This record gives sequence, C-alpha cells and structure tokens, in this order.
Amino acid sequence: MSIEAINEQLLRAIGVGVALVDIEKLSFQFRNDTFNEWFGDHDQSIGLVDLFPDMAELDLKAEMATSRRFTTETSFKLRRRTMTVAMEFNSTNDAAGNIAVLVCQNITRIKELESMIDSYSMMVERNTHEIKREKEQVEKLLLNMMPRAAYEEYKTFGVVSPRLFDPVSVLALDFIGFDDVLSAHEPGVILSELNDIYSAFDRIGAQFGCQRIRTNGDSYVAVSGVPDPNGEHASAVANSAVRFVRYIEQRNASHPIKWQPRIGVAAGSVIGSVVGNQNYIYDVFGPTVSNALAFRTVAEPMSVVTNTEFVDLTGDAFESSALSSDNHVSLRQSTNTPQ
Amino acid sequence: MEKSLFDKYGGFASVSRMVLELYERLLEDDDVGPFFDDVDLPRVIDHQTKFVSSLMGGPASFTDDYIQRVHSDMNIDDHHFDRLKEIIGEVLNDFSVEAADIAAIAGAFEARRSLLTGQTNVN
Repeated sequence: MSIEAINEQLLRAIGVGVALVDIEKLSFQFRNDTFNEWFGDHDQSIGLVDLFPDMAELDLKAEMATSRRFTTETSFKLRRRTMTVAMEFNSTNDAAGNIAVLVCQNITRIKELESMIDSYSMMVERNTHEIKREKEQVEKLLLNMMPRAAYEEYKTFGVVSPRLFDPVSVLALDFIGFDDVLSAHEPGVILSELNDIYSAFDRIGAQFGCQRIRTNGDSYVAVSGVPDPNGEHASAVANSAVRFVRYIEQRNASHPIKWQPRIGVAAGSVIGSVVGNQNYIYDVFGPTVSNALAFRTVAEPMSVVTNTEFVDLTGDAFESSALSSDNHVSLRQSTNTPQ
Repeated sequence: MEKSLFDKYGGFASVSRMVLELYERLLEDDDVGPFFDDVDLPRVIDHQTKFVSSLMGGPASFTDDYIQRVHSDMNIDDHHFDRLKEIIGEVLNDFSVEAADIAAIAGAFEARRSLLTGQTNVN
C-alpha cells in the first residue's frame, strides 16, 4: 500500500469529521467516514448550504477571503441524541485558493456536561438558598431563647459558660388564682390570653430595657442588665413592673377574664447560662432571683413588692410604703411624676 | 445523619457519569427513547440529573403531586416503567453500586409507579 493510500485510509477512519470544501461553489470534494456517519452519505448534488442551512455562507466567504479561517458550530439529531459539532474551515495552499479543509470535532459530550452542570448548579443554588433561610429561622428561634451574646458563644464553642452579671434587676410576676382561672376556661383560651399578655409584657419590657428570661405557666421572669450592663437596671424593672400592672388593669376592663398579677422585683447579681444539652434554655440564677420570687409571694393583687435597697436605686420616680412583713415595701410610681 | 447514597457513591463527581450513561441508554432504547424524541438536550439532561439525584437522595426532591403532574399526559405504560427500571438497574450495576443499594433505589422508583402510569400501585 502506498503512503498516499495509507494516509487516505487514516483520514477516513479517524474519529474527526473531515471534508474538502470548494468555497466558491460551496460543494464537497471529499468527505471522510465520520463526516458521512454524522451528515449522511456523500452525494454530489448536496452542497454545504443544503447540509447546513443555518450557516452564514456570506460570513464564511468573507472570513475565508480575509483570514483564510472560519469557525462555527452546528447541532443535529443522530437518532434521538442531539449532537453538537465544532466546525473549522482552513484554506489550503492550492493554486486556485478555493479549496478549504473542513474539520468537525464532536463536542456533544461537552454540551451535555455543560447542561448537566447548569442543571446541578441550579439545584444546589436553590438548596443553598433554602438552607440559608432555615438557618435564619433557627437563629431567630434561638435568639428568642437566649441573649445574642450567649447565642454567639454557643455558635462558636458549642457551649455557653455561666457568667456573672452584676448589678442587675430581676422582675418576677405571676397571677393570683391562676389555677382557678385555668379550671374555669378551656386551655386554648388561657394559652391565647397568656400569649397576648406576655407579648405585651415583652413589648413594654423592651421599651424600658428589660428582657424576658422565661415563662413557666403563669410565672413571667424578666431582667435588666443581662447580658448588656444597664446603669438604670432598677428603674427599667420598676418602670416595666408598674406598666405591666397598668396594662392588665386596662385589659381587665374590656376582657371577660380578670387577671390579678402580683410582682416582686429585686436588685443584685445573677448568674446567666444555658441549661441542659438537649433542650436548651437560657436561665438566670442567684439570690436576686430568689428575692424577686419571694417578694412576689407577698405581693397583693395588682401590686409590686420589693425591699428598700431596690427603692433607693430607682431615684425619685418611685415611692414606697412599708408592708407589715420585714423589709418588704410596696412600690409605686411617684404621684408627682409625669406619666 | 445517615449518609445518602448520593454522597456514598461520590457525590456529583461520580453521579454525573451515571447520569450521562443513563441518558445515552435511554435515548438508544426503542421503548423509552421515543419519550425524549422532541425534547431539547438541556431539558432531557436536566430531567435525568434531577431524576437520578432525587432517587439517590441528592440535592433534588420532588413532591408526588409534581411528579404526577409533569408525567400526566405522556401515556406511560407499565412496560415503559419496567424497562426504565431495568435500565437504571443496569447502569447502577455497571457503576459498581452495591446490590442492596440498587434494590433500595429500585424500591424508591417502584413506589412512584402509580404516579407515572396513572394506575393503582398494587405493590
């Protein structure tokens, strides 16, 4: 076999589509096996334009005349598969300069991969978006359960170490006769009432720099000075306490259930921490909390009880009257203070 | 959390190869191939990527309602469904997916038979 014959054999068998094109007539002079496999058997009457109707033949001619090279892409169906072929025309050095070598590379797999990556990245992007939204919801929930500083610590270290907060003020509230109210109404009604009332307390507290720590049934405990120090912690708690009472008074006037809150407030130090490693709850402990709870137990309905040390911290805005039991005083807003 | 099959078999890097293989075999097949006759390449690929990914617990999941809706006017018969199940099994087997895992994937697929064929699931 001659070298020419071997060359032709190679050219025919190669996995790249090769054809010789007459640029003037836009006709095929030669097509190898791969080319025919893709575009059908060679037929003298079929020209370039018949085979590739979408090809910009004027661009092809112009480009070949100037840069002697032209590239484009074409897609077609081979059975059901969409094939994409990259086409490159190169001028030959024949005397007339009309013959170009057309090389067609099969880039179907690349196109398929591109499509798949598009599809996959869209899925991943959507999932990432959903995860981000869920994370924000979890964060919001956790921030409802603990102060931001404790949450940040938890996120970084996986634990929240107990911290001493000093000085702070604690407010403890419950409702006299809660059990009776509970037995007289549907649990759903009570829940909706408490939700209403505690939400209002939260709003009032936030206004004065007081944050709810926990609720447990009818017990509502809030602090001022945790985790961020507050120089006016006693006033914050006292202001919140008297407004809690006022809010309930106003609410009782227009609602069937007449709530009878009593409140104890105390100043001092507390330890704050997350308790539990399954069911997280942020809580505060210490004698100040115990004092507030103890004062609450001796408070009359719709009143706030504390000790004289606390009253001293609240300045002129509040006044007190001694109660019969030791060191307990009833706290109320001074009558000469603007409301 | 239990590792999904998607992660177990190398995530997108290897699942992508299964998807392309499945794509080729589906199009070659004279039973199920015709369903993709007039569908654009990106849509077929998108379909296969999501399909394999959801079967293997990857980052795609579809509600039964959605699956039913998009296949409702395709006249898919039981034998089409069986053939597709067979092809999936062959592809997974060729990619050395463990027999137990192939059975799990086939089970997840089988569970949705009635959504595609519009017939009551008797299994």
